[in-house]
Amino acid sequence: MTLAAHALRLSFSHSGAGSIHALDDVSAQFAVGELTVIVGPSGSGKSSLLHALAGIALPQLGQVTFGTTVVNALPEPQRDAWRLRHCGMVFQDFRLIDELDVLGNVLLPAQFQSARLPNGLLSRAQQLLEQFMVPRRLGSVARLSRGEQQRVALARALLLDPSLILADEPTASLDAENGQHIAMALKTLAHDGKTVVVVSHDDKVVALADRIVTLKAGRVQSGSVVLG
Amino acid sequence: MNPWPLIRAALLRYRFSALAFVLLVAAGVALAVAILSQERALRAGSARAADRFTLIVAPPGSRTDALFTAVFLRPGASQLLSADLTSKLLNEPRARFVSPLAFGDSYRGAPVVGVVPKLVEHLSRGLAQGRMFSTRDEAVVGATSPLQVGDQFRPAHGVRDRGAASGQGQDSHDLEVTVVGRMRPTGSPWDLALLVPVELVWSLHGQPNGHAPDSAQVGPPFDPSFTPGVPAAVVHTDKLAAAYQLRTAYTGAESMAFFPAEALLQLYDILGDMRQLMSLLAVVTQALVLLTIIASVFILFRLLAPQFTTLRALGAPRRYLFAVAWGFTASLVGAGVLVGLVGGYGLSFGISAWLARSTGIALEPSLGASELQVSLAIFVTGLALAALPAWRIQRENLASALKK
Repeated sequence: MTLAAHALRLSFSHSGAGSIHALDDVSAQFAVGELTVIVGPSGSGKSSLLHALAGIALPQLGQVTFGTTVVNALPEPQRDAWRLRHCGMVFQDFRLIDELDVLGNVLLPAQFQSARLPNGLLSRAQQLLEQFMVPRRLGSVARLSRGEQQRVALARALLLDPSLILADEPTASLDAENGQHIAMALKTLAHDGKTVVVVSHDDKVVALADRIVTLKAGRVQSGSVVLG
Repeated sequence: MNPWPLIRAALLRYRFSALAFVLLVAAGVALAVAILSQERALRAGSARAADRFTLIVAPPGSRTDALFTAVFLRPGASQLLSADLTSKLLNEPRARFVSPLAFGDSYRGAPVVGVVPKLVEHLSRGLAQGRMFSTRDEAVVGATSPLQVGDQFRPAHGVRDRGAASGQGQDSHDLEVTVVGRMRPTGSPWDLALLVPVELVWSLHGQPNGHAPDSAQVGPPFDPSFTPGVPAAVVHTDKLAAAYQLRTAYTGAESMAFFPAEALLQLYDILGDMRQLMSLLAVVTQALVLLTIIASVFILFRLLAPQFTTLRALGAPRRYLFAVAWGFTASLVGAGVLVGLVGGYGLSFGISAWLARSTGIALEPSLGASELQVSLAIFVTGLALAALPAWRIQRENLASALKK
């Protein structure tokens, strides 16, 4: 299913600064099987667009659609459930729970809905950790290297097999080698049939993009590149 | 949903704060539980101790003082019944027996009490060991006395603190008393006492000993010409009606007669007031503790805000955040109440043991409905208050929080 933004307008009220227009008439499509990279200078609205696509931020005007679902029209509980089921979120600072071990972090999204772990999820979590070559270390996830932590975060995002992967600067806090691994992993996911949307300044990620959306001052630049 | 892994993670992260919170709640609960449990144990223990005393006759004054003198062997006022009234009372035909209580001596902290053999038989309901004293240099000891049958001791003037070497110094009498029997446990201060013929105590203090000078008699009848006054006497009757008659007969200008229960009720009133006051203090303290904890949890949750934001971003519903945040505080309160309940019970045991050692009153603390109700009330209040920070954390705007 294709993810699309239709004429999104999103503004935030900011104390002392009045209203800030984060997105202004933003339209874009994010196709299945593609790695789309959103680029632009700081404050251009990249993260706001990602949050709008994830149903986290609600635009004042416009729509976010996923197939036939108008994401921003869903009531909050359904929007949460939609995000849990269809979106895998990856963050710059990983946002892992330090007090949980590797497996505990990966299995976290499975705890939101059911008291018991659904069948097969444990083996899926282990399979994902093997796939991303995360060492099976007991104890806090904080003991892992930064690269390993981001791979744990990626495994967590993929646990429920979402069709969308939304990543906000996933390589920004990694060294070159680990950044390359994560970028390649995202590219592979796109080729495996996921819709992958990444906000990034990283040239390595941009170089792997199937599509690039350039934002400036909350607007899509006319010169946005569509590769391939 | 299963919030427990994250509750556990938060408890682990803030383990020292969590421990401090648990101990604070536990201290408050333990205090409330110990007060209630101890007060009940004191009531039951004192009632049990007084159970075998039918009627007490003492000089007019405080019934509580007289009760302490007769039942708890803590003589206070030095006032005595007149010699005439004492001899009339000791030879009272309507009573099954009347025993004078004569104090003034001790041995290594244990009171030496002058009584008649029938009182010992009545209190002990058959001796555990040995036989009843039959001469004026014999004694029967209480169930927990360290003295053994066959041991000898020298009573000393006055009542000394436990452990003092009274009975061996120059204040001791020149008389060796032999222990010939041991009482069964009574659960009262009498378990620590050394019981001797009342004639011995009178003699040791230079008073007429109740019988003609050349008599070696022990126990009644007492000769009115040779009977001194006593601080209190214990009267036992076969029928309650006789006890009421004697109560009336000996209540007047020269003496007062009362059932121990009457004085105990006055004592319980005071105990009850004290319990209410202390319970109120404990509840107020507990309320302050809970409020402090909730305020601290608000601050802790601000530190955990990024984790809560992450959960929402991953798709966790608000109710999941509420469950995690509420479960965290509820766990602290629950653990505190549980530890407090056990600790309070333990504290009550400790206080009982200490009181039993110092007074001889056997106290059996228990966890009753009141303690469980107080603990439950604190627990429920804690659970309700725990909803405040939980409600606050789940209301956070996700988009704004992610931008922070």
